[in-house]
Amino acid sequence: MITKYIAAVTTRFNPFKKPSKTCRVFLAHLPADARMKMKINTTVLGRDSQEPSFLKLTFKDGKEMQLDTEKLKINDVVVEVDRHSRTLNRVADLEPL
Amino acid sequence: MASHCTISPRLRLCTRCLHQLQIKPSYYKYLSTAAATTPAPPMHQLTSSPPPLARFPPTQPPSHKPPAFRKSQLHRQYTSLLRSNPVLLLFQHNNLKASEWISIRRELHLALQKTDQALSTDVASAIRLQAIQAGIFESALLVADHYNPSQHAHPGTLPPHPTDPSTQSSAQIANHTPNPYDPTLTHSLSTHAYISVAPHKRSHPLRVLLSGPLAVLSFPTVSPQHMRAALSILSPKAPIFAAPLRRTNPGYHDAITQAGLQKLMFLGARVEGRICDLEGARWIGALEGGMEGLRGQLVGMLQGFGAGVTRALESAGRSLWFTVEGRRTMLEEEEKGGDGEVKEGS
Repeated sequence: MITKYIAAVTTRFNPFKKPSKTCRVFLAHLPADARMKMKINTTVLGRDSQEPSFLKLTFKDGKEMQLDTEKLKINDVVVEVDRHSRTLNRVADLEPL
Repeated sequence: MASHCTISPRLRLCTRCLHQLQIKPSYYKYLSTAAATTPAPPMHQLTSSPPPLARFPPTQPPSHKPPAFRKSQLHRQYTSLLRSNPVLLLFQHNNLKASEWISIRRELHLALQKTDQALSTDVASAIRLQAIQAGIFESALLVADHYNPSQHAHPGTLPPHPTDPSTQSSAQIANHTPNPYDPTLTHSLSTHAYISVAPHKRSHPLRVLLSGPLAVLSFPTVSPQHMRAALSILSPKAPIFAAPLRRTNPGYHDAITQAGLQKLMFLGARVEGRICDLEGARWIGALEGGMEGLRGQLVGMLQGFGAGVTRALESAGRSLWFTVEGRRTMLEEEEKGGDGEVKEGS
């Protein structure tokens, strides 16, 4: 997963619910020094909480991406993130030094 | 010449049988020369047979999965961890660096040692934070929760002894055939364990938490004070689980430690077989005075209850006494009054 264009990550999940796996694995996909380069806001809900899990990403170009982790698996999330990151990558490559 | 040379073992014999052969060498002295006739076996061989070889040494029982695999050994380790540690705290670790692990473990150990000194106990060295393999841990959880070796052990009677003359030749002797269903094999890697756990697969309540990179903090005793110390380091929250101050503990506010702690995420806990979330773990950690305090509260409550019962039982007798006493004094007064009236009248 290309994480270099992500500016902020906001996530909230109840670890005792199955869909929370997507959010948790996404957090595990971020590199070791991610917290220095982006803003990460994680809320772990209680066991009885019925709130749906969600994952919100903000890219460095200002695009916000709200992902419905109740339906998406981690591979789908990675595909979504990479699709936008690749366009940013292409723009960065074409930029004159 | 012939008496000095030893007979080369054409038959593979177990060490005990060989020993039995060697203690009576006179019977076999002429084996090399006598080609046609075979001497009758000695009496002690007719009455009892040499014990058969044990298939597996007691320290290396056969495993359901190959024992040389890392996963088999991890499974064994996790089962023992689960059986010997009543309190487990589960964390997710998101790409922690080795230096961050070191500093987190150091801070944790310092805090636990301080608690140990306050309580004059010695458990800090046994409280460990280790990364685990989620899949194997789940299987070990099932074995620890659903497999009871005593159910599969021999019922009351002893197994047939291999050298006992009364043992029939058709008797099934334990551990002498390569049979994985042997009733003597009841360790947690045995086929018995595997079979008895199979119906519970994918049903453990902790299963939802067991995905992604996991670490477990294990406590060998249920000690709320130690839990409080550990939680105030790993997931601090202001009043009760306050993080140590920068003045008293500068190492905790180190950039490396803080970076590591940000990436360590509390998921849930298993306390004496029960599953609880962060709030549940904090509730246990916040118990005042720990287990002793809780026991004291219970004793106090029971004592109060006893006193109440005594008072309730006593009250009926006392009220009766009061009534009778009241009646007696009334009668006495009446008597006195009557006497007075008589005196007045006379």
